[in-house]
Amino acid sequence: MFVLNLISENMVTRTVDLRSDTVTKPTETMRAAMASAEVDDDVAGHDPTALLLETEMAKIMGKEAGLFVPSGTMGNLISVLVHCEVRGSEVILGDNSHIHIYENGGISTIGGVHPRTVKNNEDGTMDLDKIEAAIRNPAYDLIYPTTRLICLENSQANCGGRCLSPEYTDKVGEIAKRHGLKLHIDGARIFNTAVALGVPVHRLVQAADSVSVCMSKGLGAPVGSVIVGSKSFIARARVVRKTLGGGMRQVGILCAAALVALKENVPKLELDHKNAKTFAEGLNRIKGLKVIHKVETNMVFFDILESINLTAPKLCEHLGEHGILVLPESSCRRVLIRAVFHHQVSASDVQYTLNRIQQAVMGVQCESNGH
Amino acid sequence: MVIISENMVTRMVDLRSDTVTKPTETMRAAMAAAEVDDDIAGHDPTALLFETEMAKIMGKEAGLFVPSGTMGNLISVLVHCEVRGSEIILGDDSHIHIYENGGISTIGGVHPRTVKNNEDGTMDLDKIEAAIRNPSYDLYPTTRLICLENSQANCGGRCLSPEYTDKVGEIAKKHGLKLHIDGARIFNAGVVGNALGVPVQRLVQAADSVSVCMSKGLGAPVGSVIVGSKSFIAKARVVRKTLGGGMRQVGILCAAAMVALKEGVPKLEIDHKNAKIFAAKKPKHTRHYVVVAPELNPDVPMPTRADMSLAFLHEMR
Repeated sequence: MFVLNLISENMVTRTVDLRSDTVTKPTETMRAAMASAEVDDDVAGHDPTALLLETEMAKIMGKEAGLFVPSGTMGNLISVLVHCEVRGSEVILGDNSHIHIYENGGISTIGGVHPRTVKNNEDGTMDLDKIEAAIRNPAYDLIYPTTRLICLENSQANCGGRCLSPEYTDKVGEIAKRHGLKLHIDGARIFNTAVALGVPVHRLVQAADSVSVCMSKGLGAPVGSVIVGSKSFIARARVVRKTLGGGMRQVGILCAAALVALKENVPKLELDHKNAKTFAEGLNRIKGLKVIHKVETNMVFFDILESINLTAPKLCEHLGEHGILVLPESSCRRVLIRAVFHHQVSASDVQYTLNRIQQAVMGVQCESNGH
Repeated sequence: MVIISENMVTRMVDLRSDTVTKPTETMRAAMAAAEVDDDIAGHDPTALLFETEMAKIMGKEAGLFVPSGTMGNLISVLVHCEVRGSEIILGDDSHIHIYENGGISTIGGVHPRTVKNNEDGTMDLDKIEAAIRNPSYDLYPTTRLICLENSQANCGGRCLSPEYTDKVGEIAKKHGLKLHIDGARIFNAGVVGNALGVPVQRLVQAADSVSVCMSKGLGAPVGSVIVGSKSFIAKARVVRKTLGGGMRQVGILCAAAMVALKEGVPKLEIDHKNAKIFAAKKPKHTRHYVVVAPELNPDVPMPTRADMSLAFLHEMR
């Protein structure tokens, strides 16, 4: 991670943190809500604020019940473990999905579940025929694990924050149903998709048996995610949550902030998308830079072309010196730079960042031209 | 509580557990004002401050804030037993064995070997040593860890002395094992120890790791802290993330925990006093219930014992 370097004591360094939408700090409304939250022991099932948030989230997502968890990683892990409670299970998921790449392989190392990946396309989907082909033939149960679950990710982060349509999701749901499988959606940024497509969030997840939704990303709460699903699913999820150590006591404090996030910050996501698009357009106008992936939500991935003598780490360093934080992303075969927009980044921050990037690129070109 | 008649003023006395403590005004103010950042990136200043403080108090190199005592123990066991085929020795009446969903096995793939907990919360030293697997026999799992619980809850909130703990530590060292202390209520034991001039640090000197609850008697709303060596905590951080316990702007919870550390420890002595008073006055109508309180015997020296704030009720035989 990058450290801010003050170039001179006289210079006012502005901070523009584009590393992730997880960096959002709690607002004043959230802090006030946390301070006055009504709480009790949530492990005993008595925290009124937690119950309120879980009920509200379930309603919004069109599911029977909800469960607050410390993180999106735990939201996904619990969901996979509940759907795959029988030993010898396999789950189908994208080869570039967050669960597969960024969750320490926990579904296997912790949960004993086997992954079967299918290629993620540019647009975040997986081909329907490839998903179906990946389902294990139960006739060969002597040598095959048993497929129990399909996981989708919406919006799909590594593909550029891409939106899966309700129609596509429904089709995957049909495949799951036909083969007696469950469908889980890693909906860490599901609200971003809902806002981008202009579709109510419950429509997006209609076909899913469970969804994990992050409160601590674009919605801006300090901590946590919510899993939603059927009553029986959530009852079992509660037990797995306790087993993993995610049962927290007077957790209504965190849920109070999440409730504020839900009320106040969903509309703001549209601005984040606008900022991301403006940023992408600005980048494409800079010679030597290329935006990879279509920008549909709040994420922008860009590449530095070989024609200019500038490496990704060098650009990140230069930006860091000017208070701009971005993430070099090397999960793909090449090193890209990722910028994620959230409600604590303004339109003028976007312009400032573009100016700095322009300067970095021009500076390098002057170096190579002037000698 | 049952309301006997509408005219009666009902007072709430919650003795279910010391986990029911609600955050104080000081805590709420601290949480609202906490300086925070992304703790997964390692930047939350309040979390860092708190972890450093806890490590110092416990006499260890580093600390890690976790959502619960269950996760504190689970992470510790998983880090000490990162090699498949591990076994741990622990009390048959310990919290890890009875009340943590068997997570060390179902989640961590670690095998438990229990030794009987005595009345006073200890396990016989010779029984512990006898439970260690002989490495010559490869049909055995490999013993890697001994776990103690201080204070021992199911035995009545009993305190393990530093001398006993040290002896178990010696056995562990002799056999190349680690020692973890489930110190959910270590400060309760520490307060008793203080009467003898024994700081909490001394209680855990022999341990490689300790899990300490902030949300029980100390009164914070959420969380525990694991303490241990720098390398242990570095591994613990990864296991915490893997289990899903990595939280973002968690300084909010750590701010309350810091208040708990400052304000809650001295109050434990009053809890012990109340527990003793409660235990001494057995209700007359104890047809079905009697309070289990080993300290009723006035000959027993008080400083070596500590009652929990929750008195156990058992059916009278």
